[in-house]
Amino acid sequence: MRRVSLHNLSWLLCFVCLLTAAACQKRPPPRAPSPGPSRSGDIARARRAGPLPTVTLTASPSSVERGEQTTLSWTTTETMSLLIDSGIGNVADSGSLVISPRESTTYTATATGPGGQATASTRVTVVPRSARGIITSTDLDGLQQALEEGKIQPLFFDYDQAGITTEGERVLKENARWFQQFPNATIVIEGHCDERGTEEYNLALGDRRAQAVKAHLVQLGVDPNRMETISFGEERPFSPGYDEAAYRLNRRAHFIVTR
Amino acid sequence: MKEENRGRLTKEAKKKKDTRMTGKILVLCFICLPSLLKAQTPDVVIYPRPREDTKLAVADFVARTSDTSEVRAALRIFDRVLWDDLEFSAFFEMPSKSFYPLKPLRSPTDVRFDNWKIPTLDVDFLIFGNLQVDSGLAVVEAYLYDVRTREQVLGKRYNISDEALIQRVAHEFADQVVFQLSAGTSRGVARAQIAYSSLKGQGKEIYVMDYDGANQRTITANGGLNKFPEWSSDNSKLAFITHLPRSNRWELWIQDLDGGRRVVPLPSSYVASPAFSPDGKQMAFSTREVNGTDAGIYISNLDGGRLKNLSNHSAIDSSPTWSPTGRQIAFISDRSGSPQLWVMDTDGSNVQQLVREGGHCDSPNWSPDGRFITYSWQPRGQWNHQIYVIEVATERIFQLTSGLGSSENPHWSPDGRHIAFQSSRTGSKQIFVMNADGKNLKQITAYGSNDSPAWAGYPVTEPQE
Repeated sequence: MRRVSLHNLSWLLCFVCLLTAAACQKRPPPRAPSPGPSRSGDIARARRAGPLPTVTLTASPSSVERGEQTTLSWTTTETMSLLIDSGIGNVADSGSLVISPRESTTYTATATGPGGQATASTRVTVVPRSARGIITSTDLDGLQQALEEGKIQPLFFDYDQAGITTEGERVLKENARWFQQFPNATIVIEGHCDERGTEEYNLALGDRRAQAVKAHLVQLGVDPNRMETISFGEERPFSPGYDEAAYRLNRRAHFIVTR
Repeated sequence: MKEENRGRLTKEAKKKKDTRMTGKILVLCFICLPSLLKAQTPDVVIYPRPREDTKLAVADFVARTSDTSEVRAALRIFDRVLWDDLEFSAFFEMPSKSFYPLKPLRSPTDVRFDNWKIPTLDVDFLIFGNLQVDSGLAVVEAYLYDVRTREQVLGKRYNISDEALIQRVAHEFADQVVFQLSAGTSRGVARAQIAYSSLKGQGKEIYVMDYDGANQRTITANGGLNKFPEWSSDNSKLAFITHLPRSNRWELWIQDLDGGRRVVPLPSSYVASPAFSPDGKQMAFSTREVNGTDAGIYISNLDGGRLKNLSNHSAIDSSPTWSPTGRQIAFISDRSGSPQLWVMDTDGSNVQQLVREGGHCDSPNWSPDGRFITYSWQPRGQWNHQIYVIEVATERIFQLTSGLGSSENPHWSPDGRHIAFQSSRTGSKQIFVMNADGKNLKQITAYGSNDSPAWAGYPVTEPQE
């Protein structure tokens, strides 16, 4: 009996030693959050790899004008610490933050938990103030893209004339089709002249050209309220040359997508 | 009806002409070309004859007391500016300084009048004087003597707080000499500023400079396109049109030279060529109704109120200029097929065509005495513009410039004896001044690209006497 108890005592001693050693290690208790159902006080299990953390990160809205605000929101599981880059730093394991980025930024959240690391990203697109208005940006972008791809063509005029040529009519017909495909974008029609006229008369002639193009587009069914006109006279030549080829390019109306 | 209109026009111009005739001196003499269209290589044909009976000597000024390097530098500037001003005035015959007696003239007691009547000189009037600079403060004493009577015509003493103002003193004295010796025909143009539009990067800014190109300074700095400056009659304001970067419209601006600014509200994205009425209460300009097809001539109050379409025609009507009486407006219209010079009353009535040579006319500017309108013209089939003058009453036309490049945007000096304009003859647009006969041409800007000169009226502070 005594031997048994001694035997038992040594086991007990062993156990106490083990406990003391474990206590002396002073492992910091895991910070929030709790590792979930496995949190049973089992030290051995706590040292072992736990379940992988998960993290989500969203920005709403994801596209803002410069100077406007957007809200970053995030949630996590199995996470002990959470870091968001791009100057935000350590944050609570779930929450939100109102930000006003100066330029388009991709935010990445890195969650570290007992089971390892997880990341999530979201991008906030910042557009210049003038390039976005009340209207939906999809039409604007679509029309802008069509313009950049050369699908919306300028048209050219005869010397001292503001009449639309046959070629001009064809160009306007095609352009009107694009304008109507993106009905929420506003179009600016610029009227230009070659430098052989005088500056004052050319400013009026460029205006007459732009107005003639607008009237023609109205006939083709484009809403006049979507179109603005501006004359630049001879101030903004396409081609700097001094021959008919250059002058021809400069006697033009071309199109800009706005707001 | 048309004959009657013509008669009215003639009467107004004739009245001006008579006033000028009685003005004792300087009747402009004209030589008319038989026909403008036949003139393939036309010569200068308008001729404000210098007073050939007035011979003027302008002796170098001398240091009054100490002849320091500072004083010598100021003297060099003063002598050059005074000489250039008087020579440009085109009132005098000025014999070369190499004929002058060697003895410096510091004060009236130094003058030996017989020495200025030798056959090679034989001047009627003599200018001399002295200058002193003392720790930044300058004093100029300037004299004008009648060599025949040996009497003092002018004796002036200028105290300047800043020797940088030495040019202004020279201009001031030159204007007084012109005023005195022209018997009031001219008050001199040496102090009258020229406003213009100057290319800066992608934009054009409004600048102001002395008539000789010195002292250039900016009025606008908005990075946009600022064009067609025009002075109010009291020289306190400049009107011009502005297109700000990223904007989709032209605006009519009125800028007070002491800082204030007003944007005149207008219906459409097009406005050009503002011009103040002679009484300063209204403006004429070219603009368009928001859904109109073409530019028209409008007048309004300076705040944009009482906007009225004067031309009411489905053609381009642009570039208005007021007659000095404020009763008529000359303008450019292409209602006859190409842009030509037209005139109407300021209520929009009595519209008549003044130039009917075809080609392209633009930028008319009515002379201060009402007798002439200067404008640019490009004959049909040619690509260069030249500066012309039309005598309103007789419709006689005179060509003032010729040769290389395009010369545009002419503008009278306040005394009506000179014209400023822009020309591309040197390869870039630069500003030139000349006599109203096309002679005495001087390029006054050299760098960048400068256009649309507008000569201010006489300074509000008058020369005394």
